[in-house]
Amino acid sequence: MTGILETRDLCHDFNGLKVLTHIQFSVQPGERHAIIGPNGAGKTTFFNLVTGVYTPASGRILFKDVDVTKAKPYRLTRMGLGRSFQITSIFQRQTPFQNIRLAILSKNRIRFNLFVRVDRMNAINEQTNEILQEIQLADEAHLPTSTLSYGKQRSLDLGMALATAPDLLLFDEPTAGMSRDESHSAVELIRKLTEGKTMVIVEHDMDVVFSLADRITVLHRGEILATGTPYEIQENDAVKKAYLGESEV
Amino acid sequence: MIARITPPAWTRWVLPGIAAAILLGYPLVFGTVYTNIFIHFAIFAVFAASLNMLVSYTGLLSFGHALFFGGGAYATALALENIPGMGLFPAIFTGGLAGAAFALIVSPLLNRVRDTAFALLTLALGQLAYMACIKLRDITHGEDGVGGFPIPDLSIPGVVSVSMVPAQNFYYLAIVILGICLLLMWFLTKTPFGSIMIGIRDNPQRVDFLGFNIPLTKCLIFTLSGFFAGIAGSVYALFNNLVTPDGVFHIMTSFTPIMMVYVGGIGTFAGPIAGSGLMTIIEEIATRYTTQLVLFNGILLVLVVMFFRTGFVGLYLLLKQKLFEKESSR
Ligand SMILES: Nc1ncnc2c1ncn2[C@@H]1O[C@H](COP(=O)(O)OP(=O)(O)OP(=O)(O)O)[C@@H](O)[C@H]1O
Ligand SMILES: [Mg+2]
Repeated sequence: MTGILETRDLCHDFNGLKVLTHIQFSVQPGERHAIIGPNGAGKTTFFNLVTGVYTPASGRILFKDVDVTKAKPYRLTRMGLGRSFQITSIFQRQTPFQNIRLAILSKNRIRFNLFVRVDRMNAINEQTNEILQEIQLADEAHLPTSTLSYGKQRSLDLGMALATAPDLLLFDEPTAGMSRDESHSAVELIRKLTEGKTMVIVEHDMDVVFSLADRITVLHRGEILATGTPYEIQENDAVKKAYLGESEV
Repeated sequence: MIARITPPAWTRWVLPGIAAAILLGYPLVFGTVYTNIFIHFAIFAVFAASLNMLVSYTGLLSFGHALFFGGGAYATALALENIPGMGLFPAIFTGGLAGAAFALIVSPLLNRVRDTAFALLTLALGQLAYMACIKLRDITHGEDGVGGFPIPDLSIPGVVSVSMVPAQNFYYLAIVILGICLLLMWFLTKTPFGSIMIGIRDNPQRVDFLGFNIPLTKCLIFTLSGFFAGIAGSVYALFNNLVTPDGVFHIMTSFTPIMMVYVGGIGTFAGPIAGSGLMTIIEEIATRYTTQLVLFNGILLVLVVMFFRTGFVGLYLLLKQKLFEKESSR
């Protein structure tokens, strides 16, 4: 049985520095998969390979049974991949409404329309407002994005990934840099927004991981140390050793 | 929320109506010299606005926009020189198409670079066009340029035929063509495509991840920008009845619209239009009373870069805001 996302023997290095080696990764439809691992383990690099930011040194990537090893990000997005970023990636100089509207335009495959005023496209603007409601930014919809709190900006980043209605969501540390309260409400938001959706989430906070994921992959120095249910991972000796080893240093 | 009183619909047409009346009456009131100055302003307003599509709306600084302006100017001049019976509008359209074609041809190259490299590449391409224009004597007549080509009448067969040689007649043609160009470019910024352009300016990575093909999108932006620059060049050719390498392909031809964008106000649509107006006025005054136009332009650019980063439009908005705030605090 092949998953919605598969990697075969995926390897990558930066000018000889091996960052990922022989990654065999698989996500089944409906799965909620967490990737954990210490800083520099290669989690973001893995996302960057899968989403087409880098072309892997070797190995293959399959998304929905299509070889996407060399596909560019925009292709993958059109195929149904959504991604949020560890470092917030939004349009700071525009309003949240304009941010989300761009995603909605893409979802509706409006890419070369030079003939209609975008503010008169009622269906587009309605869909935009729906997403803003969902990510709880309706009140701030028309303020400059740069004036929003960090937590709200992170929500907008999530919203942009969701707005294209992807079949697979990749979240790279969605709670990174948040205060405890912000982090708590972000997790609740993610839980609500991704209900029934297939998701891969990179996260450091174990409470978040255990509350959101039904499968966990542990990445360590560019290798997969273990994959399994949260319980299996908690009981895994290699994982325990690696994590204990880390904390001793 | 404060309830706003919406003025009746007809009031929306008051300002455009006044503007149209001024534009219509202008050549009658001011005579040939000022009419020609206005045409010059309008040509460069369109040229600068076409550059502004890249600078303010896509975040790309081109140092070689003369390539498209000159391409359009030469295409129109050569078409009129070599094709007997070439009509007025086909000649102008040829200029626009030439600008667009040049842009389309170089866009695969331009797509490979960003930021400083983009600026340098456009500079190089502009210089290449300048040199090619001088060297390709057989076609372009080298440094002499193409001049004295026939200017077709504006004619609708069997209805009217108006000579475009008198400045007043040409004025009406020029402001209609150039006005339509400005309107189209302005409209473009309001369309979904305009939103994508602004997205590329602010965060290309995210635009890519939203599912937009950036190289293809930029390709179209370059082509459209080249088209409007080409139209401006074409009207320039008709206006002067002469195109030379130094007149349309020279590096100063690339710098002029950049200055207009900065002086008028980067990041706004009206900026380059205001910039063209201001610089045309300065040019007139400076060349009438002194021989130091370049010095005046230099000082102006220094002042803008050091003190008024937002340019003339920015200054205007600031003043408006100041006045408005005073009013509301009373
Ligand atoms: N573009 C790059 N060029 C060179 N080295 C890089 C590059 N990106 C990442 N690395 C290196 O690759 C390794 C893995 O980085 P990566 O960002 O994938 O880790 P991560 O697991 O996401 O860590 P974190 O938890 O800190 O986000 C690190 O040693 C990092 O320094
Ligand atoms: Mg990371």
